[in-house]
Amino acid sequence: MNVLNRRKMILVNGVLLILLALSIITCAFLGPTHVNLSKALENLFSSNADAEILFRARLPRILLGVAIGGGMAACGVVLQALLGNPLACPQMLGVSGGASLGGILGLIFFPNWLVPLAGGLFGEISWVPLAAFVGALCSMMLIYRFALFHGRIHPYHLLLSGVIFNSFVAAIIMFLNSIIDFYQAQGVLFWLMGSLSTRAYMTVAFIWIYVAVGFFVLWAKGISLNLITLGEEAALQLGVETNRLQRQIFVASSLMIGAMVSVSGMIGFVGLMIPHAMRLITGSDHRLLLPASFLAGGIFLCWADTLARVLLAPAELPVGIITAFFGGPFFLFLLYREGRRKLAL
Amino acid sequence: MKRVHAQIAGWAGFFLVFVALSVTHAATPPQRIVSLAPSVTEMLFALGFGARVVGVTTYCDYPAEAKKLPKIGSFVNPSLEAIAARRPDLVIGVNDANQSVKAREIAQLGLKISLVTLNNVDEIFRAIKSVAGWIGDAEAGEKLVRKITQQFDEVKKRVESAPRRRTLLVVGLRPLVAAGGGSYINELIMAAGGDNIANNAAQPWLNLPDEYVVSRAPQVIIEAGMGSERGQGGINWYDLKSIPAVKERRIYAYPSDKILRPGPRIGEGLEEIARMIHPECFAESKDRPGKGSRCERSQP
Repeated sequence: MNVLNRRKMILVNGVLLILLALSIITCAFLGPTHVNLSKALENLFSSNADAEILFRARLPRILLGVAIGGGMAACGVVLQALLGNPLACPQMLGVSGGASLGGILGLIFFPNWLVPLAGGLFGEISWVPLAAFVGALCSMMLIYRFALFHGRIHPYHLLLSGVIFNSFVAAIIMFLNSIIDFYQAQGVLFWLMGSLSTRAYMTVAFIWIYVAVGFFVLWAKGISLNLITLGEEAALQLGVETNRLQRQIFVASSLMIGAMVSVSGMIGFVGLMIPHAMRLITGSDHRLLLPASFLAGGIFLCWADTLARVLLAPAELPVGIITAFFGGPFFLFLLYREGRRKLAL
Repeated sequence: MKRVHAQIAGWAGFFLVFVALSVTHAATPPQRIVSLAPSVTEMLFALGFGARVVGVTTYCDYPAEAKKLPKIGSFVNPSLEAIAARRPDLVIGVNDANQSVKAREIAQLGLKISLVTLNNVDEIFRAIKSVAGWIGDAEAGEKLVRKITQQFDEVKKRVESAPRRRTLLVVGLRPLVAAGGGSYINELIMAAGGDNIANNAAQPWLNLPDEYVVSRAPQVIIEAGMGSERGQGGINWYDLKSIPAVKERRIYAYPSDKILRPGPRIGEGLEEIARMIHPECFAESKDRPGKGSRCERSQP
């Protein structure tokens, strides 16, 4: 058992932080088209194709990818600990289903995706992500109500209600998809596949605020999270207010997931694979595991999205395909390697 | 081995039924036709066989009479029961991955089914002729194809002297879904004097990253989506001012099925997109073709 100390903390997070910075810079110059940096910086404020590719088409999308990769991975870590289940991932909490349903209702009833404010000077209002976020909040309250018994959230009920809620929502989405017209149905399917495509820094900032606040709330609970993986009773005996911890974690991660899914759609496997991969490297201490997973998730999604843009250029692949191609085999490999032992949490 | 035999027997049976039905159909032209696609429905009506259509899909909304006909399910998922209940003597579908499977099931019900292939303009013309032939009026098919060919020729004549304009045709904005090189729509853009910036992709439809659009700098953007982006014309692009289409306000909302459906209205649709790509070629009165006029001089 390796013990957490300040040196390891700084070393791991420092290396990951440097890798993340390098990834952001490298990915900003990778894409189906070549960008000339000096030309982009030369006349930044006139309409300049290189600058637009770099600062409007690529950079916001990379920053969004980092936030969502990191947020998903961090949520995966805490949900796996909270639910005591190595399969737990952000998609499992019904919030993602609620966000999808909200987004699709938005796509159907507010077809105008965005309304620029003052000619785009103040950014834009995007109806569909807004509707998705409202959907996420509603489903969060609903699931909270269903998982709450005698004043406490039961992880078992949380898991079951989340899975059932998502399947139920999937059925509603399929129903809506079969009654709307053909082209709308195509649009819905594309939206469901998930994408990091964005040019709005406002949206990116909104996601970063949710993800960053949520992350620090979760990180502050690192020690309690360590104890809760020993089992609820043990944690209770060791002085963790499990009721409160569970509620706080549920609310914090739900808000993060709701915000993320409402902008990017369902991007699977980041929240499942990164936490397991980082446990192999850093061990299971959540004080280190959480920031390390956040940084690694950011790096991973940053590269996955770059691959999605480049592999079949000029066509763009849904980024969820790339994450699944890496995540699926990795998870099976982990199961195989661990043999009969349970996957560590 | 047994399974292989069974499969061969099955196919042979399928073939025999097919041949038998083809022979019987030769004797009496079909009177009760079910269409499994909006494009096929449009062909049937344009050929003058509208009165014989007894079932259409939920997406068949043109011409208006087609809307009132009994529905047999959607284009993607037609209901076998509903088709059989219409007691058709001919079912016409589209030869794609989905409907070719359905066709086998429909044939197993003892119904006659024929499929048309609609991947490029030539195939659309051939399909119109085949449909007319199946119904026993090949002349109607020839006539309709002549009419559409004429519409094509007229547009080509008007734009032939004009320089090709880089064009992007999208059906969805978030994510950006554009017509690629592998569809008849690419041919329509070419015929309208455009140059599809996504034609180096083999897919009929593809999701394009924004940066690709910026780098290829389209001069005309046509937003042809019917659904989610209704009436948004151009708002999506306001921040990418280096794109000539954005700078020169050549972004058109074109909420029409005419070119999105591989049917008899592609000729009309072609003229409409040609007017967007080369408005200067259509500036003068309609009875004077545009050759040698303003069209030649004006540069993008």
